[in-house]
Amino acid sequence: MSSGVRRIQKRWSSSLRLRLMFGSAVLAVLFMLALLPALRSAFLIALEQSMENRLAADASTLISAARTDDGKLSMPNKLPDEEFDIPNAQLLGFIYDRQANLVWRSRAAQDIAVPYLPQYDGGANRLLRIEDRRGVEFYVYDVEVDLLRGESAAFSIVTMQPASDTQALYRGFMQQLYLWLGAALLLLLGLLWFGLTWGFRSLRRLRKELDDVESGSRERLSDEHPSELLRLTGSLNRLLDSERQQRERYRHSLDDLAHSLKTPLAVLQGASEVIAAKPENREQTRILQRQIERMSQQIGYQLQRASLRKSGLVRHRVPLAQVVGSLCEALDKVYRDKQVTVQREFDPCLEIPMERAALLELMGNLLENAYRLCLGQVRIRADIAHDVCELVIEDDGPGVPVDQRERILRRGERLDTQHPGQGIGTAVVKDILESYDGELFVEDSELGGAAFRVRF
Amino acid sequence: MKLLVVEDEALLRHHLYTRLGEQGHVVDAVANAEEALYRVEEYHHDLAIVDLGLPDISGLDLIRHLRSRDKTFPILILTARGNWQDKVEGLAAGADDYVVKPFQFEELEARLNALLRRSSGFIQSTIEAGPLLLDMNRKQAQINGSGISLTAYEYRILEYLMRHHQQVVPKERLIEQLYPDDEERDPNVIEVLVGRLRRKLEDGNGFKPIETVRGQGYLFTERCR
Repeated sequence: MSSGVRRIQKRWSSSLRLRLMFGSAVLAVLFMLALLPALRSAFLIALEQSMENRLAADASTLISAARTDDGKLSMPNKLPDEEFDIPNAQLLGFIYDRQANLVWRSRAAQDIAVPYLPQYDGGANRLLRIEDRRGVEFYVYDVEVDLLRGESAAFSIVTMQPASDTQALYRGFMQQLYLWLGAALLLLLGLLWFGLTWGFRSLRRLRKELDDVESGSRERLSDEHPSELLRLTGSLNRLLDSERQQRERYRHSLDDLAHSLKTPLAVLQGASEVIAAKPENREQTRILQRQIERMSQQIGYQLQRASLRKSGLVRHRVPLAQVVGSLCEALDKVYRDKQVTVQREFDPCLEIPMERAALLELMGNLLENAYRLCLGQVRIRADIAHDVCELVIEDDGPGVPVDQRERILRRGERLDTQHPGQGIGTAVVKDILESYDGELFVEDSELGGAAFRVRF
Repeated sequence: MKLLVVEDEALLRHHLYTRLGEQGHVVDAVANAEEALYRVEEYHHDLAIVDLGLPDISGLDLIRHLRSRDKTFPILILTARGNWQDKVEGLAAGADDYVVKPFQFEELEARLNALLRRSSGFIQSTIEAGPLLLDMNRKQAQINGSGISLTAYEYRILEYLMRHHQQVVPKERLIEQLYPDDEERDPNVIEVLVGRLRRKLEDGNGFKPIETVRGQGYLFTERCR
């Protein structure tokens, strides 16, 4: 099966509207196909009825014109219905006696041999359809009359008309019928499409709102949906609210935890500095301070890890320019005396597929390193190609010695074995990248310092 | 300098109060944002240290309140989390620098001094005014290279006047620089201290940088850099 067909099949099976449209169209066609024979036979019945009425009327004309004289039939030369007298007329009239002997025929019927012989049985009148030797079809109306209430004056009056006229009428009717049914089908499908489009508008609006929620530009779904969907949107909203509240609570708990753990550490740190004023306490204080530092780093690191869990519902795409802008504004303030120039070599509309908090931590840690170590120049490059996002942060500082690079990059490196002074910055960066299947590279920059390359 | 410390943990607040006091600052140490907002309306501060994790009104909201009341003194934030979300929010709200808990006092002091220098327009840790050189790290003054002996109070008055050079400084402002509490205030003490300071600066070389502006305060006339 070609990929085109497969694509169309996929599209058909994935769209509810197309499926409904297809189903309705098939139903409409089947309905019309079923309607067609009924309409056709109804028309034929009506046509034969009208033919019978007409031929019966013509037979009545003949009956009223007929005279019997001692059992012998005589017909006037000029009949009240002129059509019988016209040569080559369509309307033919015959009168037979009881023995089926032809006693009279109309002028147009003089040369026609009709393969019909009535049999007088005193029965009712009847309409027949016969075919002559040439294959021409006729409608035949046969009525038996007893003009004098006696057997001697009993006759069969037969009127005939070729079926060609009705056949033309029938063909015309069928043509019209096909035309109208086709037009009705098209109109029906058009109305159906319009109706489905209108009916599915609310679903499309729901999809748009969900897109907005996923992209983070909307917090919850609106209440302006049809009643059938309100149950669903209500549940989704409750889910969104609860997730948000949970995240908020989680964040507050982490803040409280950080505050309640780190403030006592700050007190301990302060107290240790006071104790260190006495020379005999210096060694003990040094041990105390190192342990405080280690605890603080562990707390900070674990809290960072905990706060950077991925959200299940919302798919994030964060404009890089916005994050870099707010970070640079903050860092420019802190490193104001340094007057750092930041080159931003990326598309201002570039969006990074990462949660805002994670991107802020990632870029914040790398940029702060660059600001701290640079002489005055920092460069940020970013690009997304073939679903791979690459961010490079460079500075013109002293760079990272080769022997330390490996240590920074080693996976699973425990924080407390890391190089002193490295802080938790790169550990957090590595953690974030791990959850995004990314990698961190440390290289030399053209600017003269270090280049931290992030790829995920 | 007169500093405002807003920290809810009593021990840490006391530690900061003591250590900063030892460094020659007058410290207003309060436990919450309401108290801080009251203090900034009552006194003139040169810098504030604000903990982000305050009860009731958060540190961030306090900073926003301070900035909306046109308080332009530098603000240093103390943050427990140390994540970039907090740092960026704090700095965007109007803070000037941050220190992550727990911190070494030297680090806090270095950042605080850098902010104070920057806020009075000095990049170096020394201020020069003609023959006078003020070393803010060592808290010493020299005239033509020879040191002059100043008491802690005299030094504070001189540093404050030099930071606000060519501006009239009211006596009340100088009192705030010396005493944390209202009860001890006595304007005569300032006159006595300024008189002594003038004599020490003039001694032997006729250098007279401090003028009295009647009914208003004192003016350091020499241009500082």
